[in-house]
Amino acid sequence: MTRAMRRPVMAATGALLLAATTAACGSGGGGEGEGDGTLNVWIMQGTNPSAEDFFADVATAFEEETGATLDVEFVEWADAHDRFVTSIAGGTTPDVAETGTTWTPEFADAGALASLDEYVDGAGVSDDLVEGLVEAGTYDGQLYGMPWYAGVRSLVYNTEMFEQSGVEPPTTWAELEEAAAALKKEYPDKIAVAVPGDAEFTVYPWVWGAGGEVATLDSDTWTSGLDSPEAQEGIDFWTGLATEGDYSSAGATTWRETDVLDAFAAGDVGMAVMGSWTPGAIVDANADMEGKFAAVPIPGQDGGMSPSVLGGSHLSMFETAEDKDLAFAFIEMMTTGEFAQQWGEQSGYFPGQVSLLEETLQSTDPLVAPFAQQFVEGGASVPVAPTYGAVQAKATTSTMMQSILAGDADVATASTAAAEEMTTVLNGSE
Amino acid sequence: MTLQLTETLPRLSRARAAVVRPWLLLAPALAILAVLLLWPLVRVFLFSLQDYGLREITTGEPSWIGLENYAEILATPELWTVVLPNTVGFAVLSVAGTVVFGTAVAVLLASLGTFWRTVTSSAIMAAWAMPAVTGTYVWVWIFDADRGVFNDALMALGLLDDPTNWFTNRWTFYAIVLLNVIHHGFPFVAVTVLAGLLGVPKEMLEAAEMDGAGAFRRFFLIIVPQLRQVFAVVIILSTIWDFKVFAQVYLMPGGAGSNRSVLNLGVWSYVESFGQNRYGFGSAIAVLLTLLLLVITAVYVRTVLAEEER
Repeated sequence: MTRAMRRPVMAATGALLLAATTAACGSGGGGEGEGDGTLNVWIMQGTNPSAEDFFADVATAFEEETGATLDVEFVEWADAHDRFVTSIAGGTTPDVAETGTTWTPEFADAGALASLDEYVDGAGVSDDLVEGLVEAGTYDGQLYGMPWYAGVRSLVYNTEMFEQSGVEPPTTWAELEEAAAALKKEYPDKIAVAVPGDAEFTVYPWVWGAGGEVATLDSDTWTSGLDSPEAQEGIDFWTGLATEGDYSSAGATTWRETDVLDAFAAGDVGMAVMGSWTPGAIVDANADMEGKFAAVPIPGQDGGMSPSVLGGSHLSMFETAEDKDLAFAFIEMMTTGEFAQQWGEQSGYFPGQVSLLEETLQSTDPLVAPFAQQFVEGGASVPVAPTYGAVQAKATTSTMMQSILAGDADVATASTAAAEEMTTVLNGSE
Repeated sequence: MTLQLTETLPRLSRARAAVVRPWLLLAPALAILAVLLLWPLVRVFLFSLQDYGLREITTGEPSWIGLENYAEILATPELWTVVLPNTVGFAVLSVAGTVVFGTAVAVLLASLGTFWRTVTSSAIMAAWAMPAVTGTYVWVWIFDADRGVFNDALMALGLLDDPTNWFTNRWTFYAIVLLNVIHHGFPFVAVTVLAGLLGVPKEMLEAAEMDGAGAFRRFFLIIVPQLRQVFAVVIILSTIWDFKVFAQVYLMPGGAGSNRSVLNLGVWSYVESFGQNRYGFGSAIAVLLTLLLLVITAVYVRTVLAEEER
């Protein structure tokens, strides 16, 4: 009995203990005391199926160029945040690591990352980096995350359903609504457009597209713009497709992006906001979908493009790196030129260097070119604040979406509550 | 000095040895317990008095804020209007449901022959062995709005016109969690109570039967009083488990924080503390939860003991 009673505390303590007391054994590739020609690197597992071979090639090239040995450790995405925190606590961070774009400002704020500005300027690549990724990696006016690779969300549609309903891919919001209406008429039992309630990155394009902002920084204070008339107009359009047009489904109210993908792959969805990395997964899930879907950039309100979040990774240099020039030599090798391109091809993501994308932009593949166009011309970043992770943990935007879609609150009420909460959490004054 | 010690030793030792020896023998075990249990508890309590986040971890400089974390927890209106009612209400219903259903199954098992008892207990063990995560996904799948068998059945029977999303409503959400938790928790109760049932003296039951007591009277007047200890253990453990239900809520659609009306103590504390790197705040919640469970357990144990004495 006593043992069971203490369980809740033990469970809660687990993470703390990890962070506080066992830090020393938390990392296998610690950077301490290893300055003699070895570079310790953490890379996330699962992005590139042939990562091992890729890094074997990189290690050979790196040794040729610098004479130093490369020690790459693969880390699971799910454990990565805890491992970073643990290693930061114990001072055993790697020299260089892949950091998810929303983590970069968080670790920079904690004082764990080294600024990259002088190195990037020295290498002369500062004008050749994808803007949305630079924005996401810049904290307090300094670059802490070197753009490596990323994906972007655009509008993916079922070409068979579109042809059958006699509609063209939309280029404005009005056209999108017309297309949804035509799809619903032809396929009353299917979902014309999926409006998921638990997928914040599918919401922001409509906020930006209507001229609104998710949040803005003025001197030291963040203000969420989700309750501005423009943002509300965008949210109203997007949720209205479900609540007024009934073009979505009851289930979608609690859908995450993975649920959207499942339903789309099953052929049940006419159009949806989906990532540039999803086409492969769609065909994997249902081989019949091969060649039956395409993408267009998310339409702007009256034409053009609505900006969309770039999701991806930076390479960051940790303050514990003893030989920072060596560390940057690796970062440069990975994020520019041949290896960056190769990584992009193998993983299905876009490289963070603009000049590498030019070839991709010329592609006529209906599942590559529209994403690439959105990536270069219509990419944006969520608020670059160390506290944005907290906003995501509180599910502020998803709470707003779900309450609107479930009919519990109207757009004005829900967006005002969301803006208030986001402002409070972003400023860390809770 | 050495001489003196040697001289006094025989005199002292007899009196002291009786006191010291047990402690000496216990020392290794106590030391391990202190390191494994006491020190973490103390750490958690110390963290709960600090503003302990990523920055404090990096710099190693503690930021003591006294009881502010506790004040903030208790001053959160959400805690009183949503989180605690959900947690307590759910714990009461699921403990009652688990114990009643588990006992019913135990009675069934006790009355079965060896073959059917083996078959039934194997089926029960399968429910028990299923990890909470897997079980939760199965229930989510059953109640899925667009493709779940539950909605399909209701619509085929003409009871429902359009698919309904059962996860957006607080009551239907917790009805599903209740099914999930009872399904996962009753095997433990059934097996424990069965063990107790088999220990009830046959003579007493036969005597009662001869005196004309029906099955229900025999159960409530003879078996239940005999099993008071077993029920005490089962109820306390279930209460503790059901109080800190996490995965079964967190993994449900909308359960990870986007549906605020279904937050319970487990999910709320995770979202507010670990999700936001506020480890001090999370420790304070853990301390309060431990105290709460200690009080519940103490009250319950005292009631049982008091009845026993009477």
